[in-house]
Amino acid sequence: MITQDNLLLNRAEPGGLGGMQFLYKVNDYGITAISKPQEEISNIHWEVDIIKYLTLKPLKFEVCHTTALATKTLKFYNDKALNEFLGKAFKYFEELDLLENMLPEKDKP
Amino acid sequence: MSNLDFVAEGKPADWVPLGETQTVVDPMEMFFKLPRKTEFITGSEAARESIRRMNVDVAIAYPITPQSETMQQAGYLYDEGYIKDFYRGEEEIGVMSACAGASRAGVRTLTATSGPGLMRGMEAISSWPGARVPMILMDMCRVINTPLAIQPDNIEMSFMLNTGMLLLHAEDQQDFYDYPLVAAIVSEKVDVTLPCAVSVDGFFVTHARGQVSMTPKEYKLPPRDGWASAVPAMDNENPPARLSRDAPIQKSNFISYHMHSSWQQEVFAAVERSAKYFDKYLDGCIEIVNPDADEFLVASGAAVSQSREAVRQEGEQGRKVGMIKIKTIRPWPMRQLIAALKNAKRILVPEFNQAGWLHKELCSTLYGRTTGTMIGGPRVYGGMTMPTEMILEWLADARKKQL
Repeated sequence: MITQDNLLLNRAEPGGLGGMQFLYKVNDYGITAISKPQEEISNIHWEVDIIKYLTLKPLKFEVCHTTALATKTLKFYNDKALNEFLGKAFKYFEELDLLENMLPEKDKP
Repeated sequence: MSNLDFVAEGKPADWVPLGETQTVVDPMEMFFKLPRKTEFITGSEAARESIRRMNVDVAIAYPITPQSETMQQAGYLYDEGYIKDFYRGEEEIGVMSACAGASRAGVRTLTATSGPGLMRGMEAISSWPGARVPMILMDMCRVINTPLAIQPDNIEMSFMLNTGMLLLHAEDQQDFYDYPLVAAIVSEKVDVTLPCAVSVDGFFVTHARGQVSMTPKEYKLPPRDGWASAVPAMDNENPPARLSRDAPIQKSNFISYHMHSSWQQEVFAAVERSAKYFDKYLDGCIEIVNPDADEFLVASGAAVSQSREAVRQEGEQGRKVGMIKIKTIRPWPMRQLIAALKNAKRILVPEFNQAGWLHKELCSTLYGRTTGTMIGGPRVYGGMTMPTEMILEWLADARKKQL
């Protein structure tokens, strides 16, 4: 089963392709994990991006390819690998928040 | 099947079919009381888990995309002993005819098909309700019209609307686990005795993963009682075996129009009688979100999932939009829809087909019963996607034009 910790929202894949999107949030950062249909079921995988939340109401975020976690869209081919990455990312986001809070106000992202 | 058959198929002589190790539970216990565990699985796998718990006697099908995955999974269930008999027919009209024979013999019968397969089997399928043969048809919708494609499109459901079939439309993987189990039970109620199709939007659901909450596989539904039926099961074991239903029903050109009309009236009355069971087992034939809203999205199948997200995003903007999910297309929940929509000012009907069959159904129900504006769309078909933004744009456009 997919990690439910820090899960902000799960919904039908909003592009209408079928499948689901899971949105995780830790402080200002988070992860979008999308599982879409595939003609060959064995090819179903997770497409994962690091995101930075802009607003929660309405829910807006931007893809963030500038963290040490990932500089591109990642693919995971099973739930175990995704869950391991999520655990690692949640810790990273906590540390990132601490570091960003140490920055002078003018340098904060 | 005897143990000799098992051995012939490569099983050890002491092999016990796993279906025989399952415990039979009351349907209400299965649907509402047993503990459930959630797994993230495809719609085809959800269908397999549903069949595992359905106590199926015989499953017959011919493969067609996107149904093939499910019936392949059903083959595994047969190998494990959850289905008593299973075979691949030679094409769909033969399959659907064989299913009619199996059901007439009084056993729980399951088949599955998609798009063109449904069309090919339609002559036999449309004879099922009149023959009063309970069974479960899993229908994974796809394109049927030229240019042919294997992409999602649910126009095929419109061909079943007036056959006398019971027809459910599953929104997601969870529904495609729950609905077939309910279909099996309602289909076999004595005052119903009708086949039930459970349609689902192919690929979007069958070939994608979703969260499915399931009861333990150690439990199954009660078996079909072939004698508890609106018409008696046929004895196909003791000669002389009969090939057809009671004489007046299959006398072709000798049948009287009185017989035909009264029989058809009874079929459609049975469809209406099924509503009370679906209402009980599906926790309502419709689901309503934001019942006091002025604007409503009315949808069935995968269009419901997109509508839910549109409702959520409208809520973020401070606008309350209602949504109605129609679970049972037949029986059509006419009274519930009239009550839910009587004060609606604007009603949009998003659909995954060109013809807009759901919009037409709704229009005929609400004609003269609402002052609201009915808007047929958005519609996508032939595999097109329906992004949430499309529904939001249609809503915004309708407001702008003051429709």
